[in-house]
Amino acid sequence: MGRVSGMSDLVITLYTIVVLSLVVNIGISLYGVFTRPSLVKKFICLTIFSDTLNSFAIAIGFRRVSDTYPSIAVLSSVPEELSELATFAETAVDPVPQALVLTAIVIGLAVYMFLVGLIVMYYRHYKTTHVRVVEGGSVG
Amino acid sequence: MNLREAVIAVSIALMIALLAYTIGAGGLGPIAPSRLRDLAVSYLINTYNPWNITKSALSLEAVTAIVWDYRGLDTFFETSVLFVSIVGVALVFRGYREKLGLGGKGLSEIVKTSTKVLTPLILIAGISIAIHGHLTPGGGFQGGSFIAVLLVLMSVVFSLDFVIGSGLTSSKLLMLRSIGLVGVLSTSVALVVLGIVLGTHAYIFQNIAREGSPLSMPTWLLDRPTGGTLLFFNLFEALAVAAGLSLAFLVLSLRESEVEEALGESEWYE
Repeated sequence: MGRVSGMSDLVITLYTIVVLSLVVNIGISLYGVFTRPSLVKKFICLTIFSDTLNSFAIAIGFRRVSDTYPSIAVLSSVPEELSELATFAETAVDPVPQALVLTAIVIGLAVYMFLVGLIVMYYRHYKTTHVRVVEGGSVG
Repeated sequence: MNLREAVIAVSIALMIALLAYTIGAGGLGPIAPSRLRDLAVSYLINTYNPWNITKSALSLEAVTAIVWDYRGLDTFFETSVLFVSIVGVALVFRGYREKLGLGGKGLSEIVKTSTKVLTPLILIAGISIAIHGHLTPGGGFQGGSFIAVLLVLMSVVFSLDFVIGSGLTSSKLLMLRSIGLVGVLSTSVALVVLGIVLGTHAYIFQNIAREGSPLSMPTWLLDRPTGGTLLFFNLFEALAVAAGLSLAFLVLSLRESEVEEALGESEWYE
């Protein structure tokens, strides 16, 4: 992880832990999607997976500002002169990942809504959400 | 844990280790850099820049400017995906109908009264989030999902009968959803139509005057910037999302026996 002077080792360590736990979360949720036999649990793991990826994308847009926290990508007042815009661009976080994540959340919601509908119909048809039953194997 | 699960677990653990190593070695660039990418700086400088108006969206919030101005076409298709998914849900549950008189009295009087107080507040907060999308964090989708909570709350507190009885049927919600999408569409071509009428040049999804096409949407309302098309996009998107999500909740919360009865046995097990 590239170190930048002006930020203490503690903060860098904490930030590394956050990124690492997001990566571990990706693995755990994928394990759930692959091995849990219930469609509902698979679905929950899938939503955790996508939420983790979205948080990860937001974390990539984070930036370090020398002595303070970065501001959000919103101007708090109508700028009166050009220099205010330069200051804003020097302290605000990256807005591009946020815009992409907004799109990803909406499309994810659309897909999940359809998936939930399918799972409900699956349950009404087979009286279970277990995938193996349909494959012809035994439950368990 | 059988052999299959063990293999999956080991390979995922390996993937985590490799991914962590890649990120640690700078595979995604430095994590939390002090310098932004040039694209991000360009968006931040130009999002509200009256000194360079041909590159600006005149919106105080950079995210909404990207979502509905610089990448407006992306967002239009994203809204279309949401629309198609809601149509898909309605198709999977085809043939259902809203039946009244199935009972269900809802929760106690105390909960009902406090919900009656809360309902207009939720509605107004949602609309406020939506129409301030170009000024503060938020926007059409956020406001719309905020409003969609109302139907869930009402169906729990007052029962589903009350919701359907009060006129929020799925066909009306689908119509509202379509009105929202048509509003988004007509806002995106408004300047093109105006350009044809006035005999000048204009682009689809044009917001502020660009090089070679001098038309702009109105950018100020009284003493507040409106971000041109952004205000209309956020408003219509909020309507579309609120109606669409409410429709999905309504369809998903219908009772199993009703759906079976509505579908009959004919095509149920094919």
